Amino acid sequence: MEKEYYVCTGCGLLCEDIETELEKRAISKVYTACRVGVAHMKENPGTAKFWVEGKNTDEATAIGKAAALLKAAKNPLIFGLDNSTNEAQKKAIELAKKLNATLDDSSSFSFGPLMAALLQKKFKTCSLDEVRDKADVSVFWGADPSDSHPRQLSKFAYFPRGKEKQRGWEEERTAIAIDIRKTHTAKICGNEFYQVPLGGDAEFMEALIAGLSGKLPKTSYKYPPKKLLELANLLKAAKFGVIFIGQDLLYSLETLAPLFRLMDTLNEKAKGDFFLIPLLEAYNMRGFNENLFEETGFVNRVKFEAGSVKHGPEYSVVESLKAKAVDAALIIGSDPLANLPYSIIKELLEIPLITIDPCETLTSKKAQVSIRSGVSGVEAGGSALRIDGVRVAFKPVFESKCPSDEEILFKIMEAF
Amino acid sequence: MDFGSFLSAPELKLKIVTYRDIFQNKALIEDRFGEEYIAKSALIKLDSVDLKNLSLKKGETVILKNSFGKVVVKAEASDSETPHRGIAYMPNSPWSNRLVSTETGGTGVPRFKEIEATVVSAKGEKITELEF
Ligand code: SF4
Repeated sequence: MEKEYYVCTGCGLLCEDIETELEKRAISKVYTACRVGVAHMKENPGTAKFWVEGKNTDEATAIGKAAALLKAAKNPLIFGLDNSTNEAQKKAIELAKKLNATLDDSSSFSFGPLMAALLQKKFKTCSLDEVRDKADVSVFWGADPSDSHPRQLSKFAYFPRGKEKQRGWEEERTAIAIDIRKTHTAKICGNEFYQVPLGGDAEFMEALIAGLSGKLPKTSYKYPPKKLLELANLLKAAKFGVIFIGQDLLYSLETLAPLFRLMDTLNEKAKGDFFLIPLLEAYNMRGFNENLFEETGFVNRVKFEAGSVKHGPEYSVVESLKAKAVDAALIIGSDPLANLPYSIIKELLEIPLITIDPCETLTSKKAQVSIRSGVSGVEAGGSALRIDGVRVAFKPVFESKCPSDEEILFKIMEAF
Repeated sequence: MDFGSFLSAPELKLKIVTYRDIFQNKALIEDRFGEEYIAKSALIKLDSVDLKNLSLKKGETVILKNSFGKVVVKAEASDSETPHRGIAYMPNSPWSNRLVSTETGGTGVPRFKEIEATVVSAKGEKITELEF
């Protein structure tokens, strides 16, 4: 019998080589996944659950109540969807249009501007397969894939042998970490770890640009120019370079301008080309950004209004809650009560909440309506975009009674 | 008589840097209301000299406080080889988010990474329970 491979939706890498063993309609063993992936694939209670006001109920009641709450709202917010399939995301966009809703995801306070620039082709990007086959220099900037994307170094960036990289990492690849602390990834990078003081990344970029352009690299925090020049030379010699950008770098930069200038300078001065890949964490943040971009020209923070679409910080989840501009929220695959600052959470607790999530979360516990959906790739099929934009389709490991996000959204729309 | 108890406990100003941790992430997936997730999240890692100056032992709790909130978490010494006095590391979690500033300047982006807070021994107080 041919082996069946499944897709892990534990992070944005969407590993496609997962083997599983089943026991009584649950996954008992998971092979080839990392420890996060194993935990994620095993998370499959398998039974559908519907709550209204904290009490167990049936599907029709929960769906009906969710539809009624959304319909009664003047300006509902739909938030989350970074852990939903492309198909569910498209349904949610349709629903947002129908409701004249505000629609946003977590890229609103992380990768949004970088993803917008990527889709507007402001810098070169490439696929992870090209990284595996060709890259000789990988830079992890404010990124710690050993913790956030555990198989990134072994599958793509550092350890594997690729088509043009047959001799492996010891001889043919260099991995560089630039970070404010010695992360697990930085430890793997050994001597190629460059520790930047808190908030010092933009200056480090400018100094690196100077170094690449043959000038003396200076920083206010007196980073040794010799070390900066060594780094500049290492990057200059790259035949195929990639910079992986993590969330931590984005929080440290006031604007992305220095990063784009650095990319331009690298592509001008280095032997080969330099590419940038954002290390998105949720498994389909890229899908959310691309699907919405295709529909509206924006990657997040939109408000639909009678056939038109508005965009801006005032439509971000944070500002729209702060301004009390939204009067109900549908949260899909996200736990804002765990992830947002307390003062913003307080606003969320003031309005009717509906959650769709495979797990019970701090948010779902406070929701008026809460629906348990199937885990993507385990109980529900569909497709998603990997961090590099490659579309990955997946089927469920087993048939589950849990509806998918897409099915739930479809039913809510039908109930209007 | 324990005169020490009349002296106010030493307090330090900290810059808190948040980070993600694979074991914490795994614990979150397995049981986000479980003991392991709390143990790996409600935690602050201090420079060992700072820890000593606060008269703390590994695993004792501390109160972290600023104008946005207050939490009680466990404190331990970080394993960093380079000293980082005045800077502490904390896993990204609902506990660190309690201290995040609400000032966004209209940008929609809270300053998750730049947390300033004071730290003082919690004298045995328990870790803050997440209740809303
Ligand atoms: S690296 Fe990500 S996608 Fe791959 S197995 Fe681990 S969690 Fe799953």
